[in-house]
Amino acid sequence: MIHLSSFILCLTGFAALAVAMDRQQHDLFGRSLPAPATASLRAGGAAALLGALGLLVAWQGWGLGLVMFSGHTSLGAGIVHGAIIGGLRMRAKARGG
Amino acid sequence: MTSMAGWGRRFGPLVSRMAAALFGGYALAALASVAALALPMSKPQAVLTGQMAGFAVYAGAVIWVFAVRSARRAWAGLLVVAAPLLVAAWPVW
Amino acid sequence: MKTDQDARPAGRGLRQSMSDLHSWVGLLLGWVLYAMFLTGTVSYFKDELSQWMRPELPAQIQVPDPAVVAQRIADELGTVAPGSPQWSLRLPDARNNSVYAFWRTAGAAPGQRAFGEGNFDAATGRTVTSRGTLGGDFFYRFHFQFHYMPVVWGRWIAGIAAMFMLVAIVSGVITHKKIFTDFFTFRWGRGQRSWLDAHNALSVFGLPFHAMITYTGLVTLMALYMPWGERAAIRTAAERQQLTAELSAFIQPGKPSGETAPLASVEDMVRQAQERWGRDNVGRVTATHAGDAAARVAVARGDGGRVSMSPQYLEFEGSTGRLLAVHEGVGAAAETRGVLYALHLGRFSDSVTRWLYFLVSLAGTAMVGTGLVMWIVKRRQKLPDPERPHVGFRVVERLNIAGIAGLSVAMTAFLWANRLLPVTLADRANWEIHGFFIVWALTLLHAVLRPAKKAWVEQLWLAAALLALLPVLNAVTTPRPFWHSLGAGDRVFAGMDAMCWALAGLHAALAVRTQRHQPKPRPARKPVREPVNGAVLREG
Repeated sequence: MIHLSSFILCLTGFAALAVAMDRQQHDLFGRSLPAPATASLRAGGAAALLGALGLLVAWQGWGLGLVMFSGHTSLGAGIVHGAIIGGLRMRAKARGG
Repeated sequence: MTSMAGWGRRFGPLVSRMAAALFGGYALAALASVAALALPMSKPQAVLTGQMAGFAVYAGAVIWVFAVRSARRAWAGLLVVAAPLLVAAWPVW
Repeated sequence: MKTDQDARPAGRGLRQSMSDLHSWVGLLLGWVLYAMFLTGTVSYFKDELSQWMRPELPAQIQVPDPAVVAQRIADELGTVAPGSPQWSLRLPDARNNSVYAFWRTAGAAPGQRAFGEGNFDAATGRTVTSRGTLGGDFFYRFHFQFHYMPVVWGRWIAGIAAMFMLVAIVSGVITHKKIFTDFFTFRWGRGQRSWLDAHNALSVFGLPFHAMITYTGLVTLMALYMPWGERAAIRTAAERQQLTAELSAFIQPGKPSGETAPLASVEDMVRQAQERWGRDNVGRVTATHAGDAAARVAVARGDGGRVSMSPQYLEFEGSTGRLLAVHEGVGAAAETRGVLYALHLGRFSDSVTRWLYFLVSLAGTAMVGTGLVMWIVKRRQKLPDPERPHVGFRVVERLNIAGIAGLSVAMTAFLWANRLLPVTLADRANWEIHGFFIVWALTLLHAVLRPAKKAWVEQLWLAAALLALLPVLNAVTTPRPFWHSLGAGDRVFAGMDAMCWALAGLHAALAVRTQRHQPKPRPARKPVREPVNGAVLREG
């Protein structure tokens, strides 16, 4: 259960961080988001990652907690990345590109 | 003969760098692992510290060798670092 | 594809040097690293693989009480290895369905086998027999010492490869400083650019893991690679013992007293360890001179609950069962080493963490694989005549096929051999391994004889087919088909079948993509002249 919630936190955290990046904003929305929105996405993403770290460390201590955190972040980032690629591809295909 | 010399001018620095990275780097790492024995800790701990730190030294040395502008500088850098390590390692060797 | 050559015609900057270093270091040992990565990745499921490869041993649905099992096997070892100066047994756990034990043979004459080993049934204590196989240990050992060569040579090759990997990681990070700002960037269908993006993504997401696994890999064998401090400092037997005590829960078999005294209750000893570390967290029981008045028993802590493999064990007097010493702490450096060692092996993992290890390690494998392919993709565009590439290019191209797609075929063939070779075959365990190498050699032959693209596609399809059909072969050759395992709650066998299908899907997807791939026509600009020692294109 803690594994699942940490993983979801990592996933949403990285999704927020990705959307906070300029290139991704252009790819996804065709324009830059307003600065406050970007800033809050970045802060929210970082907070989610920290939350996952806190959860895992509180559960299993620093040693195991950090190892698990490292695994969840890697997998979460990979999935977010894959989703962005997939989303852009689908849109490109829908446009007949 | 001239072609040999030409080859040497062309590839000499590269071969020299490769030797510095592979063998110089390892020698430096080995030296560091022995120098670790001078640390103020018990022998087994010092041995293990030296072994673990050795690989970082090796990797750092290889990066250094290929990062600097010339093969000569690469060797010089290794020697500069080796000198204090040698001083530390001398008494226990 | 922009190059910086025009921007800076003469000087070679740091990033250029690091880029060259990265691509040459990566290429030189790339295939070795790929094989080490892939066999290491599957070794996170070594115990499960071993169970699958010994289908005669029944599935273990519930872990039996380790204390009871320890006593049972200790009794059995008293008859199997009487008077042994030392025996050691690994207690069953959630991942092992039999008890493995090894012992030194009493009074072995020089030239005689001085060791014995066996697998025991936890429930009956009797030796269990299964087909001759090395099981998951083959991939595990191949991962760091290869095969058909002295163990020390193999370990040195693995060490050199790991050192190259470490350099490749550091130089890669320097080369692609932008990997962190390019996070989440992928440009689809842009040839080399896309390969680079994929390579970067795989590297960056797993970077903590890749750096950790490489460094800790070197640490596992550091006594071999960096013996100099030890040689200078450790000179007496007492010092050697001090060092050993920091590294393992090994108790030196002393001299027997000659006076017989039966071993006290091993069950009670294990119970004390269970109180300290938890019911299922006792790893190993070692006894020296069991049956003698001088006997000692060490009960070691299991791998769970802490990220360290530094020795923690209880030491008992064998004849009375009296607790002599609690070994629970080692020096700071030894503890650091214990942590690094444990991080590499990941044995402390619960099943979720084990899967995370597996997946990120698989990403590492793909990182090496995409790097190798990129070397070819980059250079194909610069070939003077793509129809007649030079020898070096062709060698790398063919070795890539056999090293990547061929390895998948060969590893699956190893599992096929486990099911197909007759159980009575002499030297059976070794023939499984020969099968692996024969098939791997055949994939290389195939890669050389066929056009490159066809070879890729055919081998990927072959791997997919072998993987997809392995559960069928298992259903035909053992009484444990998928539906049965699923119903019986046999997670190892059901999981293995499911995993085969998942990997078959992955290989099929790769095959389809390769088949559809159209190499981009050469850019219509003048080829950039290459500096002498093979500088590569800058990623700018």
